[in-house]
Amino acid sequence: MRKQFKETIMDLSTYDDKIVLIFGDVSVYLFDEFKRKYSDRFYNMGICENTLISVGAGLSSQGFHPFIHTITPFITERSFEQIKLDMCYNQFGGNILSCGASFDYAWDGATHHCYTDLAILRLLPNIEVIQPGSRKEVDILLRSQYNNGKPTYFRLSDYPHDIDLPVEFGKGVVIKDEQSNFTVMTAGPMLGNVMEACKGLDVNLVYFHTIKPIDKETILKFKDTKILVIHDAFGLYEAICEVSNLSVSYYGLPDEFLSLYGTLEDIRKKIKLDAKSIREFLKRDFLKQILYE
Amino acid sequence: MIPVCKEIREDILKISKKSGHGHIPTCFSVVEILYAIYNTIKHDPRNPSWNERDIFILSKGHASLAHYCVLAHFGYFDIEKVYSFGAFLSDFGCHADRLKIPGIEASTGSLGHGIGLAVGMALGLKIKKNNRRVFTLIGDGESNEGSVWESVMVAVNLKLDNLTIIYDNNMSHSRGLQIHNPAEHFKGFCCDVVEINGHDVNVIEKELVKKSDTVRVIVANTKKGYDCKTLIESQYAWHRKSPNDQEFEKLMEELCEETI
Repeated sequence: MRKQFKETIMDLSTYDDKIVLIFGDVSVYLFDEFKRKYSDRFYNMGICENTLISVGAGLSSQGFHPFIHTITPFITERSFEQIKLDMCYNQFGGNILSCGASFDYAWDGATHHCYTDLAILRLLPNIEVIQPGSRKEVDILLRSQYNNGKPTYFRLSDYPHDIDLPVEFGKGVVIKDEQSNFTVMTAGPMLGNVMEACKGLDVNLVYFHTIKPIDKETILKFKDTKILVIHDAFGLYEAICEVSNLSVSYYGLPDEFLSLYGTLEDIRKKIKLDAKSIREFLKRDFLKQILYE
Repeated sequence: MIPVCKEIREDILKISKKSGHGHIPTCFSVVEILYAIYNTIKHDPRNPSWNERDIFILSKGHASLAHYCVLAHFGYFDIEKVYSFGAFLSDFGCHADRLKIPGIEASTGSLGHGIGLAVGMALGLKIKKNNRRVFTLIGDGESNEGSVWESVMVAVNLKLDNLTIIYDNNMSHSRGLQIHNPAEHFKGFCCDVVEINGHDVNVIEKELVKKSDTVRVIVANTKKGYDCKTLIESQYAWHRKSPNDQEFEKLMEELCEETI
């Protein structure tokens, strides 16, 4: 997704000279071309995430479109108050693009894992929260949202899916409507595993790339079904729960500190978010529920 | 104390008494600094969003009452409006909201934010090759926050010669984490530093006008509660306190005694 981020930015920059990149010492080599072409609008500002956000907000006040980019936990959890006050409260818009979603940096351990970003950021007024799952979604959503004056969070992952779906900001996608009494809802790169898990099962499947605003209209189409949210982070389930009178449950992260290393695949297997484990859960538990109990 | 700064302090006392809010000692430490800033920078109270104005950000946002009183003095709004300070539905909150008050460039309150915003604004002006300047007033207590020093490092690294940081050295920090020799700290980060008496308007104005080839820092030595004996002697007790009738009279008298 970072390559897509770069490609989209290079294209947007051919006609928008208000784009300024503020990086926290990541992806610098990848953006070498931008740096050479637009040296006065590329800043590898250093490892100071709080200040990256504040400076981005200040740039926004001067009419620029900042793209603030570094590793997920540091730019979201560590800089939460800067995002809340300098961007949301002050109404200085801009784009925050993180890398290292959930367990992308599995091997680096708990300090580099991040699964609360979507959940905490969606609580802030005035913000848009996006979890693209594919390169196509990165491209389309960046283009449609980057200069709308609002703070927008893009959670980039190094493990996108490549499923080609229609993309429109704020709209969920009904991937499978089997008229089933059971519906699975998911978001982001997890879709690959979830689609594989649902193959051939009598279950509807709905997908989101926009966590805030959540597409309530699409959710309401399935209000009379049992809904299961499958997600490798927090935030989507909570957003869906805000729709009244749903029967909705969560299949995802356990309430325990995951101090594991290895690969993304290792961790997904361990917490049963690999396709096989998800399928087993669907068949053994979710689809066995007695309806309208 | 010059008469205009005494008048501004009287406004602060009156509004604090009426509203029951206000950090009087910290407001009193920055009156000359704020007055000197608005007397020096390019700005137009009749057109607060004038696109050639210089920018000032009060990073130590709890001195908002002093800021409001100075803005009123320069004609941004009527001082009578400030008497609603801190009240429900008032525009004049105990920490200023840029979307409500003309002349406020950034909403501050939580410490260590305004300086980062100022760095971003100064960078934006540099990119636009615009010669407008950015000024920000930070507190010594505020400088306990790591984000202050992050911002200083970034500003120096970006060679923001259009940024001036005024450091209100009113010894707030002495209650907790102390910063000894702040001027030396800023010099250590390669800022262009000057240390002055923060209650001498002429000296402050002279230093505000000066330019440098890097980030300029004015360490302004001030007194919390300047120059009311009662406030200076018991500044901790007065940190968030508003005066009752008797105390108000006494503070007003002390102010008059000190006016030259």
